[in-house]
Amino acid sequence: MTKKRITVLFLLMCLLLSTVHTAFASDWYSYTYNFWGEEVESPDAYSVTNVLYGTNWEEVGAFKNPEGIFTVGDSVFICDTGNNRIVELLRKDGTYEFVRVIYSVQVAQDLAEQLTVDGNITLTFNTPTDIYVMPITDEERLEVFGEYTGEMYEVPVTEEPAEDETGDETGEEPAEDGTGDETGEEPAEDETGSSSESEDAAEAEAADGETEDGETADGETGDGEAADGEAGDGESGETVVVPYRENIIGQELDLEYDFYIADCQNNRILHCDYNMNVIGVIQNPEDDTLADNYEFLPCKLVADAAYRVYVQATGINSGLMEFDKTGTFTSYVGANKVQVSIVDKIWRKLQTQAQKDRTVQYVPTEYNNLSLDSKGFIYVTTHTLEDDDIWAGTATPVRKLNSMGSDILVRNGNAYPSGDLVWGTAGGISGASMLIDVIAFANDTYACLDRARGRLFVYDFQGNMLCAFGNYGSVAGCFTFPTGMDNPDEETILVLDRQGSVTEFSMTNYGRMINEALAEYKIGHYDESAEIWQEVLKYNGNNELAYVGIGRALLRNGQYKEAMEYFEVARDEVNYSKAFKHYREQVVEEYIGVAVVALAVLIIVPKLIRGTIKLRKEIREA
Amino acid sequence: MKKLFSRILQFFKGEKFHRYLKTLRYSLYVILHPFDGFWDLGHEKRGSMAAAHTIVILTLLTHLWDMRFASFMFNNTRWERVNILMVILGILVPLAIWVVANWSLTTLMDGKGKLGDIYMATAYAFTPYVIIGLPMIVVSNLVTFEEGVFYTYFNVFALIWCVFLILAGMMMVHDYGLGKGVFSSLLSLAGMAIIIFILLLFFSLISDAVAYFVSLFKEISFRF
Repeated sequence: MTKKRITVLFLLMCLLLSTVHTAFASDWYSYTYNFWGEEVESPDAYSVTNVLYGTNWEEVGAFKNPEGIFTVGDSVFICDTGNNRIVELLRKDGTYEFVRVIYSVQVAQDLAEQLTVDGNITLTFNTPTDIYVMPITDEERLEVFGEYTGEMYEVPVTEEPAEDETGDETGEEPAEDGTGDETGEEPAEDETGSSSESEDAAEAEAADGETEDGETADGETGDGEAADGEAGDGESGETVVVPYRENIIGQELDLEYDFYIADCQNNRILHCDYNMNVIGVIQNPEDDTLADNYEFLPCKLVADAAYRVYVQATGINSGLMEFDKTGTFTSYVGANKVQVSIVDKIWRKLQTQAQKDRTVQYVPTEYNNLSLDSKGFIYVTTHTLEDDDIWAGTATPVRKLNSMGSDILVRNGNAYPSGDLVWGTAGGISGASMLIDVIAFANDTYACLDRARGRLFVYDFQGNMLCAFGNYGSVAGCFTFPTGMDNPDEETILVLDRQGSVTEFSMTNYGRMINEALAEYKIGHYDESAEIWQEVLKYNGNNELAYVGIGRALLRNGQYKEAMEYFEVARDEVNYSKAFKHYREQVVEEYIGVAVVALAVLIIVPKLIRGTIKLRKEIREA
Repeated sequence: MKKLFSRILQFFKGEKFHRYLKTLRYSLYVILHPFDGFWDLGHEKRGSMAAAHTIVILTLLTHLWDMRFASFMFNNTRWERVNILMVILGILVPLAIWVVANWSLTTLMDGKGKLGDIYMATAYAFTPYVIIGLPMIVVSNLVTFEEGVFYTYFNVFALIWCVFLILAGMMMVHDYGLGKGVFSSLLSLAGMAIIIFILLLFFSLISDAVAYFVSLFKEISFRF
């Protein structure tokens, strides 16, 4: 007996005092979180349908540290950052055709000065990190940006084959070649003025020409050139002509697109038309808040319908930089508010200056990516948040900014959209999800990409998690260092991995049904939506959204009791409460008569009985 | 059979049962007049152990029924994760440790209360929890989410009342003033922590010792 008691006591002690945190690893590829914040297995809403490598196309070769991907229509643009180029592909019936590799832009003579980097007119990219493609017609472009073509700037050449190449490339005015050469050489002579310099350039050119076939060597020469340029700057103040690389064109397309290219290490954003003719350049933003030695490093960008460009730049923690259509910096958008707690304030008061210097500065968070939805709202992600704040639900790693820059993301789900809710320490990865990209679909669902665990999270317009999938690894559908993603259509997601792969996810039947159900609900077809949710339940009985969806339809139809049952399964208190309110009214209305009668009877009958007894007594006594 | 029935009837009509009912009913007086009530509880013998046990059992039942029957809007119980024994012990064991810790300390602080008195006073102090908690279970099923603040507030009110009653009870049982009553109660809380710590230490030591002898036995048995 005593032994039993002791064991019970002991167990109780364990219960009272132990705070064992189970290291929870997701055992499934696809999952969702239930009301309790636990991982629940789910059917795949997306499945891998294709994995693309640069080596799939002879002309492209392996990608090197690609950072950005953008899709518009059937065109896919990949910023092959490490190779300083942009690869364009065309999506056709599930396969991807090579269109071209873009190494450089061309520019009209009048605009050429704007492309000066370190004293040289630079037509090539240096670490292009992102590209935004905007559909625009020639007329619109002319109207908004004016004339930008004409006499084209010629790259100063010192060797015959290179000249031929450029000649072919521009190919418009062979008669004016001479003048083009002259004007091209003039600035070069002014600045360099030494013959050894042009020789250097020639060598670089030659090296480039040689390696044009061997794609793997491209990166190396590119790097070498960059290093060369830096050395030249530092040592003698002399400049090196940046070698020009010709674009490789696989197939000619005539599309009405404009490009905005974040040419990060060249400190500029290039705006060009589909044939890579530069329309404008965004560089050297001027503002009082920017330091004099501020180096503009644009990383990610979008452009809206009014041709404003929103840029996420390295080192800017006041939000996104907004530029107008002329490329002038106008303002910051979506700045974070810095919140300092009272405890921190008191603590600061007590610290010495040395301590203050050593403690972390309270700086607003820096965004890491942005994307534009179909209605012109900007979704942004950030990963410079404290794990504790995410755990407490006070930090918001995903935001939806309106034109005022305030966060209007709807967060009605059981938890804030922040990626994984159960972190665990599986695979040596701990802490919150590191959301580094977000894309919005037409129906206001959005997907977030997690770099920490290589996962994607899809949320609906209310902030409910629809599905989570992916993992860390090198299997198809897993990622080691995802850098970006985009959706060519409503049912496909392309995810770029820094290892040089693009993974294509396509929506499964299950995912499509969820989307349809949400779409039907959004346009007010509640019954149709409920029918689809019923189908979803056949695939996945754990889908809490389905129960809520069906419950909502029942609620609309006045079947309050049934609605309450569905809401209770999904533990949706608010909707349950709504249904219950109506149900209570119903019951009260139905039984109010009976209740009044019963109450009357209860009050009157005892009195009557008492009265009769009294009466009888009186009669008997009398 | 008839004999048994008459015996039971006799018990309910008997003096003992009458006294039991009276002491149980006295809890209602106690919660409304805590200082008078708790004084008379021990000194005038107006409370009984049986009534105290009843209140504790009712407290347990209220807690369990609240977990089971309160509307899910205000009730996050996951029955697949619940061990009723643990829930019951989760109330009884802290109660026992409280009583022991309080008695241990107050004997050193000129407290007049005996172990039984402390237990009885604490048990009687749980009465508001039962009286408010039980109707609130019903109410929770009649209100919407927005009206649920009533449920929450009433339950919190009941708990505050209970804490106040425990303090008053301790003051009266030990014949303390307000300051000493609060101080001794706080010390008792610290004492509870110490007791739990020592128990844990004790159990871990015992288990280590047992493991040592078990391994010793295994070693020897492998030899032969």
